[in-house]
Amino acid sequence: MIYNQAPFDVIVCGAGHAGCEAALAAARMGASTLLLTGNIDTIAQMSCNPAIGGQAKGQMVREIDALGGEMAINTDLTAIQFRLLNESKGPAVQSPRAQCDKKAYQFRLKHTLELQPNLQVFQATVTGLVFTGQKVTGVRTNLDIEFSGTTVVVTTGTFLRGLMHIGQNKNEGGRMGDFSAKTLSASFLEAGIELRRLKTGTPPRLLGRSLDFSKMEEQRGDTSPTRFAFYDSRDPEDLFHVEHTGEQRIGWHHATNQVSCWMTHTTAETARLVRENLHKSAMYSGEIEGVGPRYCPSIEDKFVRFADKPRHLLFLEPEGRSTNEYYVNGLSTSLPFDIQVKMVHSVPGLEKAQLLRPAYAVEYDFAPPTQLFPSLESKKVENLFFAGQINGTSGYEEAASQGLLAGVNAVNKVRGEPPLIIGRHEGYIGVLIDDLVTKGTNEPYRMFTSRAEYRLLFNHGSAELRLLHHAKAHGLVSPSRLARMEESKRQIEHWIGFLENHKAPAGQGTFGDAIRRAVTGTNSTHVMPVLPAEFITQPEALRQEVLYRVSHSGYLSREQRQIDKLSEIEKIKIPPHIDFLQVRGLRKESALKLSEIRPYTLGQASRISGVNPADISVLMVLIEASRGGRADA
Amino acid sequence: MSRPTDTIAALATPVGTSAIAVVRVSGPDCMELAKAIFGGPPLPPRIARHSDYRDVNGCLLDDVLVTFFHGPRSYTGEDSLEIASHGNPFIAQSILTDLLARGCRAAEAGEFTRRAFLGGKMDLPQAEAVMDLIHARSERALAAANQQLRGSLGRHLGDLTEGLLLVLARVEAYIDFPDEDLPAEDRRIVLDELSRVLHGTSRLLATHHYGELLRDGIKTVIIGEPNAGKSSLLNRLVGRDRALVSAEPGTTRDFIEERIILGPHCLRLIDTAGLNPTPAALERLGMDKTLERAAEADLFLWVLDATRPLPTLPNSVTGRLTPSNTIVLFNKVDLLTPGNAHAPLPSPTLPTLQISALTGDGLTELTDSVVRLADAFRQGQGDEIIAINSRHADALRRARECLETARQKVAENGAVELLASDLRGALDAFGEIAGKIDNERMLDHLFKTFCIGK
Repeated sequence: MIYNQAPFDVIVCGAGHAGCEAALAAARMGASTLLLTGNIDTIAQMSCNPAIGGQAKGQMVREIDALGGEMAINTDLTAIQFRLLNESKGPAVQSPRAQCDKKAYQFRLKHTLELQPNLQVFQATVTGLVFTGQKVTGVRTNLDIEFSGTTVVVTTGTFLRGLMHIGQNKNEGGRMGDFSAKTLSASFLEAGIELRRLKTGTPPRLLGRSLDFSKMEEQRGDTSPTRFAFYDSRDPEDLFHVEHTGEQRIGWHHATNQVSCWMTHTTAETARLVRENLHKSAMYSGEIEGVGPRYCPSIEDKFVRFADKPRHLLFLEPEGRSTNEYYVNGLSTSLPFDIQVKMVHSVPGLEKAQLLRPAYAVEYDFAPPTQLFPSLESKKVENLFFAGQINGTSGYEEAASQGLLAGVNAVNKVRGEPPLIIGRHEGYIGVLIDDLVTKGTNEPYRMFTSRAEYRLLFNHGSAELRLLHHAKAHGLVSPSRLARMEESKRQIEHWIGFLENHKAPAGQGTFGDAIRRAVTGTNSTHVMPVLPAEFITQPEALRQEVLYRVSHSGYLSREQRQIDKLSEIEKIKIPPHIDFLQVRGLRKESALKLSEIRPYTLGQASRISGVNPADISVLMVLIEASRGGRADA
Repeated sequence: MSRPTDTIAALATPVGTSAIAVVRVSGPDCMELAKAIFGGPPLPPRIARHSDYRDVNGCLLDDVLVTFFHGPRSYTGEDSLEIASHGNPFIAQSILTDLLARGCRAAEAGEFTRRAFLGGKMDLPQAEAVMDLIHARSERALAAANQQLRGSLGRHLGDLTEGLLLVLARVEAYIDFPDEDLPAEDRRIVLDELSRVLHGTSRLLATHHYGELLRDGIKTVIIGEPNAGKSSLLNRLVGRDRALVSAEPGTTRDFIEERIILGPHCLRLIDTAGLNPTPAALERLGMDKTLERAAEADLFLWVLDATRPLPTLPNSVTGRLTPSNTIVLFNKVDLLTPGNAHAPLPSPTLPTLQISALTGDGLTELTDSVVRLADAFRQGQGDEIIAINSRHADALRRARECLETARQKVAENGAVELLASDLRGALDAFGEIAGKIDNERMLDHLFKTFCIGK
C-alpha cells in the first residue's frame, strides 16, 4: 500500500548522524520530511567510539553549528569530558573534542527529532527505491508500505549488505545486534549505480568494575571546556535539552563533574598473541574483501606494519554516566573471540577484564562518490541524494556534515533553488565534499587538517564568519541569530581595522605591529601591547578572533591571495549538458575523466587528476562561446 | 566573465636563432612595466620605438624595438607589449626572465589566444579553431616538458619532492595526530632533510645560472695594457665598430659589452680600460672598474702588444689567470719584423696565440681555443646538463624562499602550522614544474612513517 497521497518533499532513509542532520535541516527549512529508521531506539547511535570532534572533525562540528545543524549543541549538552587538542599550537590547528554519554546523546537527538515541526519519524526498514523513469519517487519498506517522496536522501551507514567478522565467525548486520539492509543494494544496481566494498572495525567493550584503573594513567578533561556550539549568537530559546539525567540545565557547568579516560598499553604478550594467531584474523585470512582505513588500523596491522614498535597505547573511554561500559580505543581487531579475551588480559589493568561485547570488523557496500554532483545528488538518478558512509567516508562528523548538506539540497531541489555548495576555501565541509565528488576515495575517508589548502583560515572559532552567507542564503538559522552573526562579523572587521590603523603607545607602530611582534616575533620581547579598554571589554570569542587575524595577517593574507587567484575559475559554472567527448581540442584522457566526474565549475574540473590547464582553457572558450560569446569587459 | 588580473609574458617567436625574437606581454600591468623598463614618457600606442632594455638590476640586455598596444586595440584586447630583440634565443630568454622577475606570470600554452577570444577579439565561429590551437600548443608544450622531466631535471625534482613530502609528513603528523603515541618530535631529522632539499633546490637553481651562462653568455673579459688593441679585437670578434678605436692609448675609459655566438656558446665580451702601471686620475677610475669586472669574469682574453716588452699587470688580476680560463694573445703580429720575437711570458703554462686584430690573422685559432675553454667550463658545472628555463627558475626561487623561511622556523622552534604552510608553499612551487602533487602522497608517507590509529 502507498502510505501517503501527497508525496513528502524529502524522505530520509536512516537515522544515524547523517540522517538526523538531513531530516532536521529539511524540516527546519519548512519542507515536509519523513525520517525512516530500522530501529527508533538506535537513533544517532555512536557505533564506534563515544567521542565527537578532534583534529579537523572538531572544526567541522562547529561548521555544522554555523549552518544550523544539531551535532554541536547535542554534543555540548551530553558530553562528559571536554578537551581542546593542540592547545599549545596555533589557533588554526586547535580542535575541540568531547567524550559523550552515548545514551544521552541518542535520547536528546531522538527527542529533538520528535519535537521538530514538519518532521515525521517512523520505524521501518527501507527495502528498495521506487523509480519513475530516471527519477526516484519513493521508497518501499519491509512492512509492505510504500512512501512517496519528491526527493530521497539515503544514509545507510554500514548497513548496506553489512557483514560482521570475528575470526571465522560471520554475522549479517551493520552493527552488532542490528540488521543488514540486504535488498536495497539491488535497487542501486538496477539504477546503474556502482557499488564497492569497504571495511571498518571496532574494539571490544569492557565492564568498568572489572578493570584496575590504578595501573593506568588518568586523562582528565580541561578545566575550562571549549564547547562546540556558538552561544554568543543564540537566544536562550534557540536551545533545549532533555533532562534524562536530572542534572543538565542550560548553563550547566561543563567543567565540573567531568569523567576521566584512562591510558594503558599493549605488552609483549599481546604482540605474541597477535603474531601467533594472525592466520585466524578475518582480515589476514582473506575473509574480508573490503578496504580498511590506513589511519585506523587493527591491532593486527599495527604489529605487522610496525614490527619494531614494542607497544601501542590504549585508551579506556567511558561510554556514559549511566553505564559501566568502557570502549578500548586502539584495540580494534577481527581475531577470534578467545584470542581477543587473552589479548585483553595481557594488558596492564585489564588482567581480569570482563568483555561485554567483542571486537569485530564490518564490511559494507558504498557507492563511489564520484557518482554524485557537489550537491550530493546522484548523477544517475534525479532527486536521489547520498550522505555519510555510503559515500565512502568514516566518522560521525563527516557523516553529519554530508547529511546536513544533502538535506538542504534536497529541499533546494524540490524548490528549484540553486544548491548549497561550500567552497574549499570556506571550510572543511567544502573540502570534504569536493574531495569526495572530484577524486573519490579508496579507503574510508576521514578528514585531516592537512587536506585543506587554506587550513590557517579554518580556525574553529571562525566557522560562523566563514559560513554565514550560506546560512543566510538558504535560511538555515533563525533571523535573530543571523543578525547577531552579521553584527559580530562587522565588529570583528571594525576592530581589525582599528588595531591596524591606530598607533600603539610608546612608539611600537600600530597596535597591529605591536601584536604581531608579541605573538609571532622571534625576539625576546614578547610583550603584548596595552590594548584599548573598549576592545578588552568585547566578548572573549570576538577578541580571540580579532587577535588571531591581526597576529597572523601575513600568513592569512598569503592564503587569501591564493584563493583570489583561483576565484576566477571557481566562479565559472560548466553547463550541465556539455558532451565532453564531443568537445574539440580536449585530450581524450581529459574528456573521459570530465565525462565521468561532470564537474560543476571550472575550478572543480581543474582539480581532477589528468585534467591540465590547457583543457581548462579549452573549456573556458567553449563556455564563453556557448553563452553568446562576448565578454562583458 | 571577469577580466584577468595578472599579466602574462611569453616568447612569441619559435625558440632558436632567427633575425629577431619577439617577447609578448599582455595584461593590466603593461603600461607600468614599460615605464619601469624603458623609462621616459609613456609609449605612444602602436608605434615601434627603439630603446635599450635594462633588467631590474639596471643591466643592459639588448637594444630592442618595443611597441605598446592599448587595450582593447590589441591582439588580446588587453594592454599589450611586443618586444623585438635580436634573434639570439639567449637574449629573448633573458628578457623573459626579467619580465617574470618583475611580476609577470609565464603564459600557459595558448593563453594569449584564449584571452583574445575572451576579450571579444574573435568571432564565435573562430572558437573551435581557437580550441584546436590551444590543444596543439599544449600538446607541443607537454611533449617538451615531458622530455625535460624524463631527463635529469625530472629525476632531481622527483628526489627533492620526495624529500619535501617526507619533511611535511613528519610535521603534519604532529598537527593532525596530537593524541597519538608518536615518538617525541625530532626536529633534527626535519632540519637535516629540509637542509638537503634546500641545498638541492639551490643546486637546481645554480643550473639556471649555467642556463644563464648559456643565455646571457660566458663573461669574457678582455684585459691588457693600454693600446694593446683590446677594442680592435672586440670589434673584430663582433664584426662591427662597437668600441671607439683610436691609436691613442686609454681610449676606453668605461667598459663596453657585446654578445657573440661562438659555436654552441654565447659570450659576453667585455672590453675594459687598459691596465696602466702609472695611470692618470681619470684612467685610474677606468682601471678600478676593469679590476671589478675581472673579479667576476669567467674567461680572460689577455691582449699583449707583441711589439712591446711584457707589461706588469696588478696581482689581483694575474692571480686569477689559469690555463683553463685564460688565453694570452700576442696582438699586432703583423707589425713584427722577422727576428723580433715577442718577449716570453711570466707564466709559461698559459696558452698563447698570435693574432692580428687588424688583419684577422689567427682569429680562427682564437675562436677554436675559446670554444674549447668554454666547453671545458661547461663540464666544470657538473656531469649532467640541466638547463632549467625561466619558468622553472621562477618556481624554484619561490620554493627556495619558502624553504629558507621553513628552515628558520625549525631552527627557532616556530609555530608548526606556519612551518607546514611554508613547506606547502615550496611543494606547490615544485608542483608547478612537474605537475600537481596530491596530498595523498604526503599521507602515504605519514602513515608509513608513523603508527597512527587508536
